[in-house]
Amino acid sequence: MMHRRPAQAGEILISLGLIAVGTFVVVDAQSIANTVGTGGVGPRLFPYLIGVGLTLCGAVLGWQAISGGWRRMVPVPEHARPDWTAFALISGGIVLHMVVIGWAGFVIAGTLLFVLTARGFGSRKPVRDAIIALVLSIVVYLIFTHGLGLKLPASPLGVV
Amino acid sequence: METFSALMSGFAVALSLQNLLWGFVGVTLGTAVGVLPGVGPALTIALLLPATANLDPTGALIMFAGIYYGAMFGGSTTSILLNTPGESATIITAMEGNLMAKRGRAGPALATSAIGSFVAGTIATLLLTVMAPIVVDFALRFGPAEYFAVMVLAFTTVSAVLGNSKARGLASLFFGLTIGLIGLDTQTGQARFALGIPELLDGIDVVVVAVGLFAVGETLYIATYFNRDTDKLEKMKGRIWMNRDDWRRSWKPWLRGTALGFPFGTIPAGGAEIPTFLSYAIEKKLTRYPEEFGHGAIEGVAGPEAANNASATGTLVPLLTLGLPTTATAAIILAAFQQWGLQPGPLLFETQPLLIWGLIASMYIGNVILLILNLPLVGIWIKLLEIPRPMLYAGILIFATLGAYGLRNSWFDLALLYGIGLVGFLMRRYDIPVAPVLVGMILGPLAEQQFRRALAISQGDVTIFLRQPISATVFAITALVLFGPPLWRFIASRRGQRTG
Repeated sequence: MMHRRPAQAGEILISLGLIAVGTFVVVDAQSIANTVGTGGVGPRLFPYLIGVGLTLCGAVLGWQAISGGWRRMVPVPEHARPDWTAFALISGGIVLHMVVIGWAGFVIAGTLLFVLTARGFGSRKPVRDAIIALVLSIVVYLIFTHGLGLKLPASPLGVV
Repeated sequence: METFSALMSGFAVALSLQNLLWGFVGVTLGTAVGVLPGVGPALTIALLLPATANLDPTGALIMFAGIYYGAMFGGSTTSILLNTPGESATIITAMEGNLMAKRGRAGPALATSAIGSFVAGTIATLLLTVMAPIVVDFALRFGPAEYFAVMVLAFTTVSAVLGNSKARGLASLFFGLTIGLIGLDTQTGQARFALGIPELLDGIDVVVVAVGLFAVGETLYIATYFNRDTDKLEKMKGRIWMNRDDWRRSWKPWLRGTALGFPFGTIPAGGAEIPTFLSYAIEKKLTRYPEEFGHGAIEGVAGPEAANNASATGTLVPLLTLGLPTTATAAIILAAFQQWGLQPGPLLFETQPLLIWGLIASMYIGNVILLILNLPLVGIWIKLLEIPRPMLYAGILIFATLGAYGLRNSWFDLALLYGIGLVGFLMRRYDIPVAPVLVGMILGPLAEQQFRRALAISQGDVTIFLRQPISATVFAITALVLFGPPLWRFIASRRGQRTG
């Protein structure tokens, strides 16, 4: 017989999230101005179909979640021991990078992100990481701006 | 004969110094990202999209294709030496190949996978050359209804056939389709789901989605759940060359792997996982040394490696001839075509024959370069595996943020990148496949366009999709793919009840 697991909060929440997004798509589709094209199909039909599809998927997954859990999940023992410090350090690095890049420039923002991510992965040598990060971001900056013509912000010190 | 002369003119394009260089850069980058765990061809091509927008499309596409099949070569090196698949398509190689390496036979394992990849890649390119014009001839009869039908088939197979669960695959697909809706409607210019945010009027860029899912999501996942793991890198002992016995046991699996991989690539059932698993099962059955399976049998490396390479090349058949992407990487290559205003399909063979045939010809050359890069020079790539994990993933995030921010220097794209990264993290954690998101997001708007065109032609009559013989057949196949297996199980269980 099917192996039953207790209902998983994560699976239920994701299912509810899908239903919420799907319902939003259907509801918000009504605000699209309906200029009906030739053949009678306007810009609203596909949003309706897709929103309904997403809601249905969420409903099926939600039903599965409360009746023994999502089907055919591969058990991964590592999932039992999450390292949320690492998650927080890397997330912090990405958010900090987003806040800083506009005025401090690509190289400084990138260096901060690099050091925090490396720390999240267990590195204990922030100074060495910072040096590697500086060299890497400067090289990448030069290749992409001068070599490939991409626009990236320089630091307040100018140059790179 | 026509094909031959087209291919020859393609070689003239591919052999120009500039395009040779792009091809070389492509396969080298491809091998590198194939070797590095955590970086794949889809991510790499997505990162290069903004930087290549102003280049000549032929050269850039030659590079992208090189990254795609080059990654299949490189992925096996990681699988064999690290027992972590460098690429999802090399999972099987990670089993037998790593066991060979543990027994001190890393050299022959690397050799049989490199030569097998070369044999498969070359035969598959040959098959692509022969098949493409035939499919194009057939596809010239396609109208909007037929295109819509094959796109729906591709949606179904990509999300419902692959992976462990239909419901999760379809949820992923519909999520991608939803992302594809955001922005201005292509036909009426109406804003959809822009939520009053001006940045969303252009839609969400495929670079942000691909990089968010593959780089940010993957990095968060590995850091959160696999931080304590340490990888054990097997030493490359002895010579790389295979002995007589290795050759004798390898050549048939190479050919069988190719024969399995290519068709699986061409039908819109995408992905190299299924043919590699099949190839492994078949070799296990046919081998004269069944006792070696599970302890490092060379057939178990040779067959699946050939299969994944042949299948990567096979996916280019529907991509180039019909504009149908069946894997995440193929979807991003389609987005690359679009950034130059090109739409792959039968018409592109007429309007841009030099680009298409130059691309195909470049793959013959690329496979030769890859054989050299992955056999005598394999030592260089092994060095890449010595990069410590903190440095590797920190570097990946630098490139990820660069790709998103470089689009239009807006912090909004970085916020989106992190948001999609969180979605990617959850998808990895809860075993939801990622490829359907990309296929849905890129192919969705095209499918909508064809649907509306078809109805414009039929003046609103929906039965047009069932009255055209080709599209009706394709829809029948789609229904079979979706409802066949559960129906079959239902009938089988009923029968079981009656007898039991």
